[in-house]
Amino acid sequence: MVDPDTNKMPSDELLVAFLDGELDAVERVRIDALIKTNDNVAERFDFLSRSELPFFEAFEPLLEHAPAARLESILNNLPAPGAAPIANGWRRRGFIAAAIGAVFAGVVADRALLSMRDPESTEVVDLGWRGVVAEYLALYTSDTLANLPGNEEFLSAQLSSVGSKLGLSLPVEAVTLPGIPLKRAQILQYDAKPLGQIVYLDPQYGPLALCIVQSSKAAKPPQTEQRRGMNVVFWSDGSHGFMLIGHNPPEQLSALTEKVRTALSV
Amino acid sequence: MALARSNVSVAQIGLCAYIRARFSSSSSPAIPCGAAGPEAAIASEHEIRAGLAQHLARLWRYGVVLSRQRDVADDLVQATCVRALERASQFAAGTRLDRWLFAILHSIWLNEVRSRRIRMGHGFVDPDVALVFDGERDAETHVLANQVLRQVSALPEAQRTAVFLAYVEGLSYREVADVLSVPIGTVMSRLAAARAKLAETAAADPVTHASKGGK
Repeated sequence: MVDPDTNKMPSDELLVAFLDGELDAVERVRIDALIKTNDNVAERFDFLSRSELPFFEAFEPLLEHAPAARLESILNNLPAPGAAPIANGWRRRGFIAAAIGAVFAGVVADRALLSMRDPESTEVVDLGWRGVVAEYLALYTSDTLANLPGNEEFLSAQLSSVGSKLGLSLPVEAVTLPGIPLKRAQILQYDAKPLGQIVYLDPQYGPLALCIVQSSKAAKPPQTEQRRGMNVVFWSDGSHGFMLIGHNPPEQLSALTEKVRTALSV
Repeated sequence: MALARSNVSVAQIGLCAYIRARFSSSSSPAIPCGAAGPEAAIASEHEIRAGLAQHLARLWRYGVVLSRQRDVADDLVQATCVRALERASQFAAGTRLDRWLFAILHSIWLNEVRSRRIRMGHGFVDPDVALVFDGERDAETHVLANQVLRQVSALPEAQRTAVFLAYVEGLSYREVADVLSVPIGTVMSRLAAARAKLAETAAADPVTHASKGGK
């Protein structure tokens, strides 16, 4: 006997929410079963699934083309609201007026969008840092880390120092990896900016490192790559860029990444 | 340390004067400047300023998505900075600053810039022109990225915004609803409509049918 309620065609909204992982467990199971058992539902679902496009990647170049230097100078030149209170309202109206004015000049200028390059753009943290970290870690062997003391109090002090340089809270529990002893946390430097390096010694795969830099780039989910024969998972939370690198298999690194990401986002 | 403390007290005086100036037109008595209030306001303004510095590029990109124009995006970011600093004390500690900033930028766009543009009879930009860029990326990625940009750009503003916030910025439905100040059901129907439209285009043009990297 078929329950008419559970067998009816779900709305596009529900199917899309299913695609987006926004349904609760009960609804998810129900929709999943409908897709598997009902051809009409499956057909609509397949159709909607065609809209799974690489949105994130497509919009990323827009960040690189943002006039970073100009925007920074705008922000830096804004006085504190308390400093000149009377001018505030005027100033804001001025900006809005400027925005309206820009609309008229905008259409012609907009054609220039076809070449969105900005010579002033100064993004310090680029893809280069992961390459440098990989070069550096490639010099490590198990022996490099073997004799470091694993004293928790000591490590906790190191982590707190590294965290303060990076503007990030790094409690020992958050960066502890199951079965892989934490050995050392230290601050290095990349491109005149602090780079935190937390190293572990995996009994099976050898040195493993979690590295962190400050980054103004948008939050980005974990991606994997290979560098210097090691596996890398890298991601960003909008204020910091992270990478986990080692000889461990990619699936294991991804699982460890999830643990660290969850712990650090609390 | 002594120097730092004296700076704070100077700033407090400035802020007290500011608060009195703001409220002097009302009949309510002058607001007493206790130690906690102004210091908290100063602290949060510094935090907001630091947070703004981190999110400038993302705010600018959202401005481009909304207005489809770089110049307007510049001005939207500027107005957002001003308003965020003015309202620093309204930011709820422990919540996501980037979401709060998106919401401010969106309301400036909706209430002040966009509505004026429409009243002035200015049409919107040809979506084909708007978001497309030209960089030195490898050709295949470039073509695909431009196609996706074009398709999203061609969506009506409400759908385009929801798609951008959910799939590019990775906001949950709840967060998108908060940024746009609409019910969650509205977000769902906008995304469903956008998805149906994008799916139709993808069916006609299979090149863009690739995996999504958003969430």
